[in-house]
Amino acid sequence: MPSARILLVDDEVSIQRTLAPLLRSRGYDVDIAATGSDALQAASQRPPDLIVLDLGLPDLEGSEVCRRIRMSATMPIIILSARGNEKDKVAALDLGADDYVTKPFGPEELLARIRVWLRRMVSDDRAESGRQTLGDLTIDYDRRRLLRADEEIRLTPKEFELLAFLARNANRVLTHRAILKALWGPNAVDQPEHLWVLVAQVRRKIEPDPAHPRYLVSEPWVGYRLAAES
Amino acid sequence: MQRTRTNDLRDAVAAAAGVALVTVAYRWAHIANPTTIALTYLLVVLIVAAASRLSVAVVTSAMSVLLLNFFFLPPVGRFTIADPQNWFALLVFLAVSLVASNLSSVARQRTVEAVERRDEMARLFDLSRDVLLTTDSREAIQQLARFVARRFDLDYVAIALPRGADWQVVTTGSPPIELDREQLTLAAGGLGRTLEFDARERTYSGHRTIAADGRDVRIVPLRLGIKPIGVLAAAGRPVEPGSLDALGGVVAIAIERVQLLEERKAAELSRQSEALKSALLASLGHDLRTPLTAIRVAATNLQASWLGESERRDQSQVVLAEVERLTRLFEGILDMARIDAGAVATDVQWVHPAQIVESAREQVAHTIESHPMRVDVRAETLVRLDPRLTAAALAHLLDNAAKYSPSAAPIEVDASLADGDLVIAVRDHGPGVSAADLPRLFDRFYRGAHTSRVSGTGMGLSIVRGLLAVERGRVWVENCAGGGARFAIAVPVEQKPLEATA
Repeated sequence: MPSARILLVDDEVSIQRTLAPLLRSRGYDVDIAATGSDALQAASQRPPDLIVLDLGLPDLEGSEVCRRIRMSATMPIIILSARGNEKDKVAALDLGADDYVTKPFGPEELLARIRVWLRRMVSDDRAESGRQTLGDLTIDYDRRRLLRADEEIRLTPKEFELLAFLARNANRVLTHRAILKALWGPNAVDQPEHLWVLVAQVRRKIEPDPAHPRYLVSEPWVGYRLAAES
Repeated sequence: MQRTRTNDLRDAVAAAAGVALVTVAYRWAHIANPTTIALTYLLVVLIVAAASRLSVAVVTSAMSVLLLNFFFLPPVGRFTIADPQNWFALLVFLAVSLVASNLSSVARQRTVEAVERRDEMARLFDLSRDVLLTTDSREAIQQLARFVARRFDLDYVAIALPRGADWQVVTTGSPPIELDREQLTLAAGGLGRTLEFDARERTYSGHRTIAADGRDVRIVPLRLGIKPIGVLAAAGRPVEPGSLDALGGVVAIAIERVQLLEERKAAELSRQSEALKSALLASLGHDLRTPLTAIRVAATNLQASWLGESERRDQSQVVLAEVERLTRLFEGILDMARIDAGAVATDVQWVHPAQIVESAREQVAHTIESHPMRVDVRAETLVRLDPRLTAAALAHLLDNAAKYSPSAAPIEVDASLADGDLVIAVRDHGPGVSAADLPRLFDRFYRGAHTSRVSGTGMGLSIVRGLLAVERGRVWVENCAGGGARFAIAVPVEQKPLEATA
């Protein structure tokens, strides 16, 4: 398999100078862009397999870059964000970014995310039917059932819908807004309390320890993610 | 009182002269019609009553009766009266003159009162105008007391405001009177509980007169609505109770206004400082995160075995540059704290201006490495200044020049001596300073309107200003004709020729 190509978008020279060698050392090809417009150009001319995108670019908002890339391409986008610009981060996730890491991050954290997303691009055909396995859970889409070691966990239709939606986007951070819209329609996006209640119910049923969720993970201030890796 | 008595005496003499004149004139003209003569006397009595006090008019009436009787009513030359009808006429004359005197005197009294009231109204009006001009300064209450004293011609005015259990007393005028705190508390104690209107005095209850230092001091409660807020004490010219009440009202409103202004100012200040804090936190957030991330990744890279020699050098350079950035950030915060605390100590030494420039360049070596530098030091003498402070200020300017100009754009530094100042200027080839940013450029945490994409805390230039202020120096900026900005600092220095050190 040819090595994956990653487009690194960050205007800070020190980040470029450290991340690029790191990624190359792990066998990835790395292209570098320092501005949003450079990134858009690079993404269309030599489409990378994955984009690592800093939110604080000198010319364009990070979310705007996400939106424009998503108009023509589906490669995973991982955002580098700083705590304090949650709004930007959520906007970028809503507009098509898949995941984020918060600065200052450890290199292994970023590398792990990159691995997950690249593997999914190869293996995952986004199960719409059939079965999907997450750790010791199995989702049976045809019969709308959830199994743990062949034993059924009973879910209400709404609970199943939430789990299926998250599972179809396994590992991806889904914003509160996106989940509310998918489950309750566009009018519900400002009523997160529905979601809190539903998430709590699902956790009680699927989590070994609902206080420390392993599958249905919260992304503070942003949304939820269904962790497929254990 | 002395004055009034003298006036009365003078009026009485004038009245006597008037009556005498009438008597002499009629005797001389041999006019003996008692009606004409009585009316003429009455005229004199009325004039006296209009011009002077009732008592003088009464005396005049009595004199007139006696003179009329003696000189004009038969038998002339004696105090006896032949015709009983004349007795009656004389009594009527006396009665008419007394009643007329009284009426005239009352009318006069009213006029005097009206004038006085108008006078007090004018004073109150002037005072309220003064009050509107008071600012929210710390002396506002003091100023208020002075206004009251001036407008009402009082010798002494005090405004006492309760502060917890104690009183804040602001006084003006001389001689100062020591107000008894107990008395104030007593005066204030009655406030708020009873609010009775005294119709005769046209005043609300609560006024009292206390003796302090041998003087009578009027104590007037200050109320907003019926809520007591303090006490006004006044001594000197007597002011009628109604006016004192109105005065108390104006003063109470003024105090309330001052306090509201103070509160508003405090709220504004705390809002500003909140805004500054969040601006600092936001920019600190970014300025800390990027170097930390880069250092962390570079350190990981340095541990890896795959690294070649040149890559290893490159990674350690990144670490050094980012550590330098963090160090500068840290020193900036420290400098700012020192400037705030007034704890920047100067340590003056003889140095050559080139050393200052050199030291500043070293401090920001990694930041400015991508910019060609042209340094021009035109100085043949040593200067005496604090090299650390000056170089730190210059380093901030170099840092800014590198940050705000395109990569590889040259930076020019020139140092020269002019009018006893060491002037060091840093010229960049960036976008220059927009006119909108100029007034606030040196304010703490202020960042140019179009610079949000350049990382920075907005502390640099305010630190430069703070550091230079310690050295009695200054900093300014101008846009250059060919584009770019020129920041210059000037520090007053002693000079001595180079040879002298040898």
